[in-house]
Amino acid sequence: MEQLTSGLVVEHVTKTFFNSGGYFTAVEDVSFSLNDGEFLVILGPGRCGKTVLLNMIAGIEEKTGGSIRYNGQEKTGAHPDFGMVFQSLALMPFKTVMENVELPLKLRGVPKGERRETARHYIELVGLTGFEKSYPHELSGGMKQRVGIARAYAANPKVLIMDEPFGQLDAQTRYSMQNEILRIWEAERRTVIFVTNNIEEAVYLGDRIILLSDCPATVKETYPIGLPRPRDMVSREFLGIRTRISDNTDLAI
Amino acid sequence: MFYTIGQRKKWQRILYLILPVLSVALVILAYALVQMRLPALLPDAGELWDRFLRTFTNPIKEAGLPGHIWASLRRVLIALLFAWTLGISFGVLIGWNRTCKALFGSIFELFRPIPPIAWIPIIIMWFGIGEFPKVLIVFIGSFIPVVINTEAGIRMVEKEYIDVGRVFGAKRSQLLREFVVPTALPSIFAGVRTSVSCAWTVVLAAEMLGADHGVGALVTRGWNAGDMALVFVSIICIGIIGAILAFVLNKLEKVVCPWNN
Ligand SMILES: Nc1ncnc2c1ncn2[C@@H]1O[C@H](COP(=O)(O)OP(=O)(O)OP(=O)(O)O)[C@@H](O)[C@H]1O
Ligand SMILES: [Mg+2]
Repeated sequence: MEQLTSGLVVEHVTKTFFNSGGYFTAVEDVSFSLNDGEFLVILGPGRCGKTVLLNMIAGIEEKTGGSIRYNGQEKTGAHPDFGMVFQSLALMPFKTVMENVELPLKLRGVPKGERRETARHYIELVGLTGFEKSYPHELSGGMKQRVGIARAYAANPKVLIMDEPFGQLDAQTRYSMQNEILRIWEAERRTVIFVTNNIEEAVYLGDRIILLSDCPATVKETYPIGLPRPRDMVSREFLGIRTRISDNTDLAI
Repeated sequence: MFYTIGQRKKWQRILYLILPVLSVALVILAYALVQMRLPALLPDAGELWDRFLRTFTNPIKEAGLPGHIWASLRRVLIALLFAWTLGISFGVLIGWNRTCKALFGSIFELFRPIPPIAWIPIIIMWFGIGEFPKVLIVFIGSFIPVVINTEAGIRMVEKEYIDVGRVFGAKRSQLLREFVVPTALPSIFAGVRTSVSCAWTVVLAAEMLGADHGVGALVTRGWNAGDMALVFVSIICIGIIGAILAFVLNKLEKVVCPWNN
């Protein structure tokens, strides 16, 4: 509780959807704080409310209870320090790969030459060099996902929110992207909130794992992961943590 | 019969080249057959050709066929230019801005079902039969489909795109420019295409009711004089010009919306 004036503090956040048929609570009383430079993983079963929670943090979904504070101030709406990789990809079909990736910079008024250079760098990083002029409908699912990741990197946010960013990647690319995100996180000292439903991925990446319950999402348990990096997925400690978490999860995820 | 995929592609390409030619040829053939059976209903090809040539040698109201086509085309193009700029702006305005929709939406809904041709008597009473009233009527007719399609396109924008814009800090004007208008472009083009055919319909009607020059005036003149060949020549001209315009618009759409194929 000594970090109340810096970083992100989520307190008792709740989201209830109301519709004609009644109401439905997707997120209930979730609290946690995010340390500066931390790699926080949010792990939860499918359809438990992870995306809804992230959208509230990103400021594109209204919360119905609780508070989200950033640097001591109530966070209402989007904030320039935050960037996001969308689970739904949310690429603009009418923009090329290059135009999609440079979009956050364009919105900020970065001159064309400069933003192209930055975008090209991140396109290369996610392995899409040569596809700059392609439109999203010409790419595979995994390639589209990488465009979304490059776009979020290009925005250069202090807090990077990633909603199951590797969900559509094949195993091989997934491993290399996991290492890549760790490399970027370490090199550029960002803070990351990473959502996944994959326990192994969570233990491999996170400084800390917040395990959510099944719908409505509540914080079931928090696991600090003290393992040094790079982590060995078949080491005894790794497998131990993995088993402990999987024994505690609501559904097979 | 078995084909490799490559062969099939090639056959399909050839087929898709031949089919349009074939269908046009069939229509011409059908025309010729009917013409032979019922020569009183349709002029034959020789007559049409003669009549076509005579529009050059015997000008009608001091204008040859190109002059009349140009008179119509000019009205259509001027009206369309205004219909497109004003129609797209207005469509964006009422599609994007709730207040504007509330203010102007119902007025537009009221005007929208009125067939543009119904304006002709009123506008002739107000402005006479000069150039301006004709362009105005054509404008009214082509403005409406542009507005309808633009507004529908603007409304089609997905919440997700707006979310992306908000997360990455787009201002409201940027949301419109970077996310909303591009989403609406294919629909706007649909409106533009419709507006062209509306414009032709209306210009013909306006010219048939009172004009010295224009393809519609030729049709009326042929009608009054029992000159069926002239009516047909005029109609064929309209068809050809319409097809050329549609072709140009298609090419333009491919350039403006390259992602949409
Ligand atoms: N706008 C909405 N209105 C009503 N219910 C909603 C809305 N958005 C989400 N929900 C519901 O909230 C629940 C949680 O959805 P959410 O997308 O957050 O799940 P998730 O944990 O991200 O799932 P996944 O792992 O499949 O991505 C779902 O049951 C969903 O139907
Ligand atoms: Mg989700």
